[in-house]
Amino acid sequence: MTKQEIEPLLVEHLSKSFRGVRRVEDVSFSVGAGRITGLLGPNGAGKTTTIRMLLGLIAADTGEALVFGKPFRNLSDPTRVVGAVLDAGGLHPGRTARQHLRIAAAQGSHAAARVEEVLTIVGMSADADRRIRDYSLGMRQRVAIAAAILGDPKILVLDEPANGLDPAGIYWLKQYLRSFADHGGSVLLSSHILADVEQIADDIVAVADGQVRSATTLAEALAASEGDLEDFYLSMISSSERTTHAAR
Amino acid sequence: MLRAETLKLTTIPATKIAVLIAALGLVATQLTSTVLFPYLVNSEGTDPEVAGELPVVDMTKASEQLAALNPLGGSGSIGIVLIAVILLGILAGISDFRFGGMVGTALAQPRRERTVLAKTGATALIGAATGLILAALAVIALLLALILDGTALSATLPEILETLGRGVLAITFLSLIGLAAGLLLRNQLTAVLVMLAVLVLEPILLGIIQLATGTLPIWAQLMPNTLAHALISAPNALTGAAALGALTALTALLLTGAALTLKRRSL
Repeated sequence: MTKQEIEPLLVEHLSKSFRGVRRVEDVSFSVGAGRITGLLGPNGAGKTTTIRMLLGLIAADTGEALVFGKPFRNLSDPTRVVGAVLDAGGLHPGRTARQHLRIAAAQGSHAAARVEEVLTIVGMSADADRRIRDYSLGMRQRVAIAAAILGDPKILVLDEPANGLDPAGIYWLKQYLRSFADHGGSVLLSSHILADVEQIADDIVAVADGQVRSATTLAEALAASEGDLEDFYLSMISSSERTTHAAR
Repeated sequence: MLRAETLKLTTIPATKIAVLIAALGLVATQLTSTVLFPYLVNSEGTDPEVAGELPVVDMTKASEQLAALNPLGGSGSIGIVLIAVILLGILAGISDFRFGGMVGTALAQPRRERTVLAKTGATALIGAATGLILAALAVIALLLALILDGTALSATLPEILETLGRGVLAITFLSLIGLAAGLLLRNQLTAVLVMLAVLVLEPILLGIIQLATGTLPIWAQLMPNTLAHALISAPNALTGAAALGALTALTALLLTGAALTLKRRSL
C-alpha cells in the first residue's frame, strides 16, 4: 500500500477482555478519507471499548488500530491528527470553557488565538467565561467538540456527540461533520440515534456482543432493508442473526 | 505539557483553598507558639499549673527564632500546613481522574510517563510557590512576635535564608509525595485517607519503635514527615544533604511507581 492509500483509520482484528469476559472480539473496519462512518450498536456492544483501543486509552489484547498507518501512541502530534469527544469531554466543573480550552490548547501546543476561533465555531463565545458547572449538557458537549477541533485535526472520533444537544445543536453538528468530511476529513461517529446517522453517514459499522455484524456503506445498508436503517440495524444486532457481513 | 498542567492547577479553586489553609495554619501555629504561649506564661492571670504545662519559647535565642521559621511547625507533629501541602499534591494528581480530564491529557500526550513528568514539574512549581508564600509568612510572623516581645533578631541572615530554603524544599517534596499518592490511588477520598493514615501513624509508629528498641532503625527515619522535618532542622549541611537525598529518593520512587501504574492503566 502506498503512502497515499493509507487509511486514516484502520482497525484490524481488535479483541479485548475484561476480567475474563470478552468485550470486543476480532473487530475490523476502516474509515476512509472524506467519509463519515457511523458506529452503531446497543449499549454494551463494545463501541466505546473499540474507540478507546483505537485512541490508545485501553491496550488491546490482540489486533491493532492504526491512524494513518501508525498506532495512536506513535503519533508525534496527535491533536493535529485526531480530535475526539468521549464521555462528557473531561470538563472540570470549576473551570470556565475558556480556561478548559486554554489548557487543551497548551496540551496540544496550539496558539491561544485558536481558542477564540473554536469558541466561535461552536457558538460558545458569549458563555465562555461562565463556570462549566452552570452549563447544560448540550453546552458541555459543545465545549467538548470545541476541544476536539482545536488542533484542526484530519480525523474526528466522536462517542455519542449529540447527547444533550438541542435540535439546533444537532443540526449544527450534522452540518459541521458533513462539511468536515466534504473537505477531506474522516469521521468515526458512535451513536444510538439512527435518524441522525442516516442523514450524515457514508458508511455503517454495526456491532453487537463485541463483534462486527456488518461493515458496509449506508447505501448498501438501506438497499438491503428497503430503505429502513432501523430495520437493518435491528436485523444486524439481533442475536438470532449472527452472520457477519463481509467487512469492506 | 508543563504549561497545561500548571494551568490545570491554577484554574481550580481547590488549589487556592489548599494554599490558603496552609497559610492560615502557619500563621495561627507560629503566632500561637511565639506570641500567645509566652504571653500566657508571663500573664499574672494564668493559673501557674496551666502556665507550667505550656511550652516555653525563649525568643531571644537564635535557635528558637530559626525554629519559628519552620513552615511545617517546629515540633515534628502533624500540622495543618503539612496536611494542606500533601492535599495540594493529592489534588494535582486526582482532579484529572475525578472529572475525566486524564482522557484529554492522554489524547494530547499518549506517552503517559511524559504526562507524569509534566505533572511533577507543575506540582513542584506550585509547591515551591506555596513554600515561598509560607516562608514569607513565617518571616512576617517571626518579626511580629519579636516586635511584640521587644526582642532583637539574633539569627543571622544566612541562617534565616538556609532555614527558609530548606522549608521551601521540604514543602515542594511533600506536595510531590501527595501527587504520587493521588496518581497511584486515583480516588480523592481514598488518597486523602491513606495519606492522613500514613502521617498520623508515622509518629505513633516511631514512638512505639523507639520505646521498644531504644533507637530508631534507618527505615523508620525514611518516612515523609520525619524526612521533611529532618531536612528543615538538620544541624549541619551533611545531615541536611542526607535528608534531602533520602526525600528525593522516596519521592522519585513513588512517582516512578505512579508513572508505571498510569502507563498500564485503562482510561
